[in-house]
Amino acid sequence: MGIRFDSVTVAYDGNVVLDALDLRVEPGEVMALLGPSGSGKTTALRAVAGFVRPASGRVFLGDRDVTDLPPHRRGIGMVVQSYALFPHMRVQDNVAFGLKARRVAKAEIGPRVAEALEMTGMAGYARRYPRELSGGQQQRVAIARALAIRPDVLLLDEPLSALDARLRSGMLAELARLHRELPEVSILYVTHDQVEALTLADRIAVMDQARLKDCGTPQELYRTPRTEFTASFVGNANLLPVTVGDGGVSFAGGMLKVDTGGAAPGARATLCVRPHLVGLGSGPNQLTGTVAEIQWRGSTHRLYVDVDGHRIMADLRELKEPPVHGRPVTLHFAPEDATLLTAGVSGDG
Amino acid sequence: MLVHSRKGKWTAWAVFFVLFLPLFALPLLVILAASFATSWPGVLPAGATTAHYAAATRGEALQALVTSLVTAVTASLLALIAGTWAALAGAALGRRRRAVLDALFMLPVAVPPVVVGLAVLVAFSQPPFLLNGTRWIVIVAHTVLVTAFAHQSVSAALERLDPACEQVAASLGARPAYVLWRVKLPLLLPSLGAAAGLCFALSMGELSATVMLYPPDWTPLTVLIYAATDRGALFAGSALAVVLMTTTLLVLLAVSRVRTKASYR
Amino acid sequence: MGSVTAEKAANTWGTGTSGAGAARPRPAAPRPRPLARLWALPPVAALGLVFLYPLALVVRQSFQPDTGGTSLTPYTDMFASTAFHQALWTTVWLACAATAGCLVLGFVLALVIAFVPFPGARAVARFVDVFLSFPSFLITLALLFVYGSVGMANGLWTDLTGAAQGPFRFLTTPWGVLLAEITYFTPFVMRPLLAAFSQLDTGQLEVAAGLGARPARIVRQIVLPEARPALAAGGSLVLVMCLNEFGIVLFTGAKGVTTLPMLVYGKAILESDYPGACVVAVVNILISVGLYGLYRVVSRRARA
Repeated sequence: MGIRFDSVTVAYDGNVVLDALDLRVEPGEVMALLGPSGSGKTTALRAVAGFVRPASGRVFLGDRDVTDLPPHRRGIGMVVQSYALFPHMRVQDNVAFGLKARRVAKAEIGPRVAEALEMTGMAGYARRYPRELSGGQQQRVAIARALAIRPDVLLLDEPLSALDARLRSGMLAELARLHRELPEVSILYVTHDQVEALTLADRIAVMDQARLKDCGTPQELYRTPRTEFTASFVGNANLLPVTVGDGGVSFAGGMLKVDTGGAAPGARATLCVRPHLVGLGSGPNQLTGTVAEIQWRGSTHRLYVDVDGHRIMADLRELKEPPVHGRPVTLHFAPEDATLLTAGVSGDG
Repeated sequence: MLVHSRKGKWTAWAVFFVLFLPLFALPLLVILAASFATSWPGVLPAGATTAHYAAATRGEALQALVTSLVTAVTASLLALIAGTWAALAGAALGRRRRAVLDALFMLPVAVPPVVVGLAVLVAFSQPPFLLNGTRWIVIVAHTVLVTAFAHQSVSAALERLDPACEQVAASLGARPAYVLWRVKLPLLLPSLGAAAGLCFALSMGELSATVMLYPPDWTPLTVLIYAATDRGALFAGSALAVVLMTTTLLVLLAVSRVRTKASYR
Repeated sequence: MGSVTAEKAANTWGTGTSGAGAARPRPAAPRPRPLARLWALPPVAALGLVFLYPLALVVRQSFQPDTGGTSLTPYTDMFASTAFHQALWTTVWLACAATAGCLVLGFVLALVIAFVPFPGARAVARFVDVFLSFPSFLITLALLFVYGSVGMANGLWTDLTGAAQGPFRFLTTPWGVLLAEITYFTPFVMRPLLAAFSQLDTGQLEVAAGLGARPARIVRQIVLPEARPALAAGGSLVLVMCLNEFGIVLFTGAKGVTTLPMLVYGKAILESDYPGACVVAVVNILISVGLYGLYRVVSRRARA
């Protein structure tokens, strides 16, 4: 079952926290809502769950308009950052809660609890209390509890942010596996972590300041971001203030050959180049500057080069003889590796 | 932490115990000692006896103890129901209305208990509610006096509850009544226990309103203690007081046992 | 057990503890529930029946003298009587003095428990909790044995000097009531103070001492500012409770000490002068509720 936001606006005390969101999550799709805190992403999720009421606009689950439906009649599974396991119930009762609340036949509850626990690898912990489990295990129980009701839509609100880095990457793989096993479930995944979004999502909706900024597959957003915000929030980016010229752009007194995509000559724009696509030495689009800083990162070197007052990052395969701080260097990038951003360009790079 | 020199520490402790022992420890010890004595001629009491306790645990005194217990338990339960209901209903209200509700339910704390007694006496001695002369007038007054504490205790606990628990429960398909019964109330249980203990202790020790209201056949222990000391039977009164304190402490201990079992975090 | 009364202190009085259990961000904008107001009705109706309605009757009766009709006579009569003036004065000065005493004593004792801890300091804190669950009049009862005409102190005196009577006669005077009130209500100040002190980062004290501050300066410049909200909240609550205190005064059995609550009791029960009792009750309510409102404002500010 898909989710559809139809121009959903949410406001608290006159503050608009979600501004006319139009978004469609296809059946079986994993959609990540990515953005900094206060961007409205959690509000969007809560609007689907029914905990906030849109000031205007409608929310659809499949073909059903659920905007006026109370949460308990929406049939969604939800996992929150704090897990919100019921501390007074054993794991099995936590998982059975939704089934009992929906008056599922008693004979059916046991097998379905077992199935949900099996699926999340928690079958051996059915009789434990939440306080007797580690953070990662509590997380799995929370997911099992949401899955037990066999929801068509699963809402995940920063589900991994309470885990440490190592557990987090394990749980990411786990979530990906669960989605492969339950391909028909649509997942709305709220996060501020680009790695989680890039790893898990079929599509990412980038949000900032209550608005949807960009939406596309992870590859699209990474390779051809449409806004400066997307470019800097999804992966690292060099954002160069440029002026559109004929068949290229002018930057720091020189011309760079890039696809201007029909932008009007003379217009100000931003050129986005990913650091790992910048090379050392001469090439088609050359930039010369001085090395401001050099960081060794194991498999790579990160170079910060000042070019006419603009700092440019380059991620290079580990260098045998890294350039020395303060010395001039030449960088280059291929014309097809740069994206010209004409929308939402701020005054100064 | 604050004082580092050995001399300074000892000075601080000396000041502490010089103030603390006579003010707080002595009164309780004195009552305990007096309850076993028949006179207090000098520094120490004299005439050791257990006769006061023999009297304090039968007949009129036992009747009064039972009266106190029944009153306290009934009033605490009623207060707990009213206070919890008000706290739960208040949590669902808007900020303004909620503030009004909270203020209303805290008001009995500010009104002098004697005045509560007078008010209840005035109101329930005339139609349409004639309770004067029955045990219910005492129970009503006690309930009024302790409901505020139950309400505040439960309100504070409700505020500490993780709203996500409730919301997840609702998203799993539980209707509000089911969430209340299966999630919220169980999570509130420890606080309800604490509130019950508090109400019970306050009701057991209530004298100010009771003395305005009690009918002859419903004399709580506190009134009996007052009557004893008023007619000069200080030593018998002390024994009654010890019985009152012990009973209160035992019940509180039991309640806190139950609470520890019921607390999950 | 201790935890029961700790709850009492934390929830009811301990509003001075800044940041204790900081409130979670409120769930934003719950869905509007039209039934919510209906659900609030039954408890409010119950409170109205057993509390507000009786209070209203008290106010009404205060305008209905025994001679009939509705007039201000009960008020003018009462305000003209010296007994009322005396009771009002006694009540106010006793309450203020007791509050001041509780604040000083409670601050000193809590300071030692929190910052000059000794073995058993926790047990002492527990004991203070237990103290809170006993009725107030027990203190007066105990003081009768300690300072009464036949009691420890006077007994000690007569034993030592051979005099026929001891010098301690203050129990039936306002001073006896003051001593009992300070004793009974000091724990009500100590609880919020201990809670506030436990929030204080002791590193601050150590840094201050490291910078060369003496204990007196540390208390004045670091502890006291931190404790001020708890002192304000605890103090105003004790003030209200002292204004309302009845058991302690009743048990001294002193004719010389009449407070407003005693006057209410005396007028109503001993003299059967209900309009008069109601007038005193109204005055007492106004003073107490006014101060209590102040306490709520102060403690809410302390919590913020």
